[in-house]
Amino acid sequence: MEDLGFILATYLITFGSVATMAAFIVRRGRRLAAQLPAEDKPWI
Amino acid sequence: MLRVARLLAAKDLRIELRSRVVTNQVLPFAAIVMVMFAFALNSDAVVSRVAPGLVWLATLFSLLTLVQRSFAIESADGATDALRAAGVDPAGIYLGKAIALAVQLAVLEVVLLLSAVVLYRAQLRLSGVVLLVTTFVAATCGLALVGTLYGGLAAGVRGRETLLPLLLLPVVAPVLIGATRATEAALGTGGATVADGWPWVGLLAVFVALFGVGGTLAFGPLIEE
Amino acid sequence: MPTPKSPTPETSTPASAAPAGGASTGTAFTRAIGLATIIGMGALAVFGLFISPADVRQSDSVRILYIHVGTVWVAYVAFAVTALSSAAYLWKRTTSLTWDRFAGASAEIGVLFMALTLLAGSLWGRLSWGKFWVWDARVTSTAFMFITYIGYLAVRGLGGSHQQRARRSAVVALLAVLEIPLVHFSVKLWRGLHQDSSVADRTHVTLHGLMLFSLFVALVAFSLLYVWLLMHRQRVLAMQDALDDKGLDYALQQRRSEGDA
Repeated sequence: MEDLGFILATYLITFGSVATMAAFIVRRGRRLAAQLPAEDKPWI
Repeated sequence: MLRVARLLAAKDLRIELRSRVVTNQVLPFAAIVMVMFAFALNSDAVVSRVAPGLVWLATLFSLLTLVQRSFAIESADGATDALRAAGVDPAGIYLGKAIALAVQLAVLEVVLLLSAVVLYRAQLRLSGVVLLVTTFVAATCGLALVGTLYGGLAAGVRGRETLLPLLLLPVVAPVLIGATRATEAALGTGGATVADGWPWVGLLAVFVALFGVGGTLAFGPLIEE
Repeated sequence: MPTPKSPTPETSTPASAAPAGGASTGTAFTRAIGLATIIGMGALAVFGLFISPADVRQSDSVRILYIHVGTVWVAYVAFAVTALSSAAYLWKRTTSLTWDRFAGASAEIGVLFMALTLLAGSLWGRLSWGKFWVWDARVTSTAFMFITYIGYLAVRGLGGSHQQRARRSAVVALLAVLEIPLVHFSVKLWRGLHQDSSVADRTHVTLHGLMLFSLFVALVAFSLLYVWLLMHRQRVLAMQDALDDKGLDYALQQRRSEGDA
């Protein structure tokens, strides 16, 4: 069942690493946003 | 622009003639690399089959040290800053340094080719001389242009020693492929005929043209502060 | 088969120690995209792993291709955005670091997705051809692209002023546009002498309707994901630059006022 393992590995690694990157970005964004006033955040 | 280039090339070559860093350090380095290849491959037949590739690999490794040396002499005493402050055309600086680098590379390549003849029993043949010389000229120009461009980028920045190979080696991959195949054709390695080599020289020419123009345009924005 | 976890932990929990104005890089728009991404990824997992049929010739390994095509699509788009933003930055110099940040954020995303592409591609290659790697022009230039943009990110990290970083990296990004086709072309020439058929010919798949739809789901989901990541990352980079500009004094002052409160 090499196929099944490879397929699952592809899906899990892809979703996992994308989720990790997203989590890092969000966390870093929160941390920085807490240190800066509103005028440095033009998207608000 | 050409006057600046000539002056700068002459300056770089004069520094080399006085300091002999390339002669005393880079050439011996290239020679030991050639010997090490023979250790790694461990077979006379294999070594003579892949001799052209090894010559160009050794050239690329040496290129890295040559480029670093070329910009070490600039940033050591703020020479580039002085040139910029004097309003010297960056394209002239770029071409001048590239010419000086090309001359040093050419010397190095001749030594490497001769060492391949001696160590790896590579056979030179008369019918391939024109192709061989054209290949070496084109590849040298290409390597010098790209090397100077990325050398200028990494000059004067901390961590450049490690960054330069990462940036430069992927870019010069087409030169390695083209020059190796053309040299094989010129030497007749693996039964290649001389006619096989010319398309690869075409590839090298395209490389030189693209990076010659691109480098001349890009060098100014790269070094200005 | 376990359904993979949703990839985007996008919640709207307000951070506690927020100064005046938003506490995160999220807005209503990105939250909507984030939600759509989660739904899209869930749909991709369901369609890719369960609903889509196995291919006649490739059997179940075709399921890897949904991921593979989606990630390579994002990677190419990301690098194209990097190139265009870099050109835009150099075009209108000194006006806007926003272009530079878009270029940087996009390249980071591109590198991640290129890594995933290479991974999924080699696993798929092992199943279909029995080998992880083939010296095909497309595969090889993809690997070169990956390394080149790692180098680009290293150039961004060299230090110096924001404008220095932007100019240096913009030039490198544009040189990469010169380099990649050359590498592709020369590898193609190189392989041309050894083998006639390329990977493209051998991988030709007649797509079943449901398979085509699954592929479509993958492309939409990954595109949404790219937009979400790009917007958030760009905002993070903007805040990082703003914080650098304000310097250490500002950070200390912030800390102190936090302590007082």
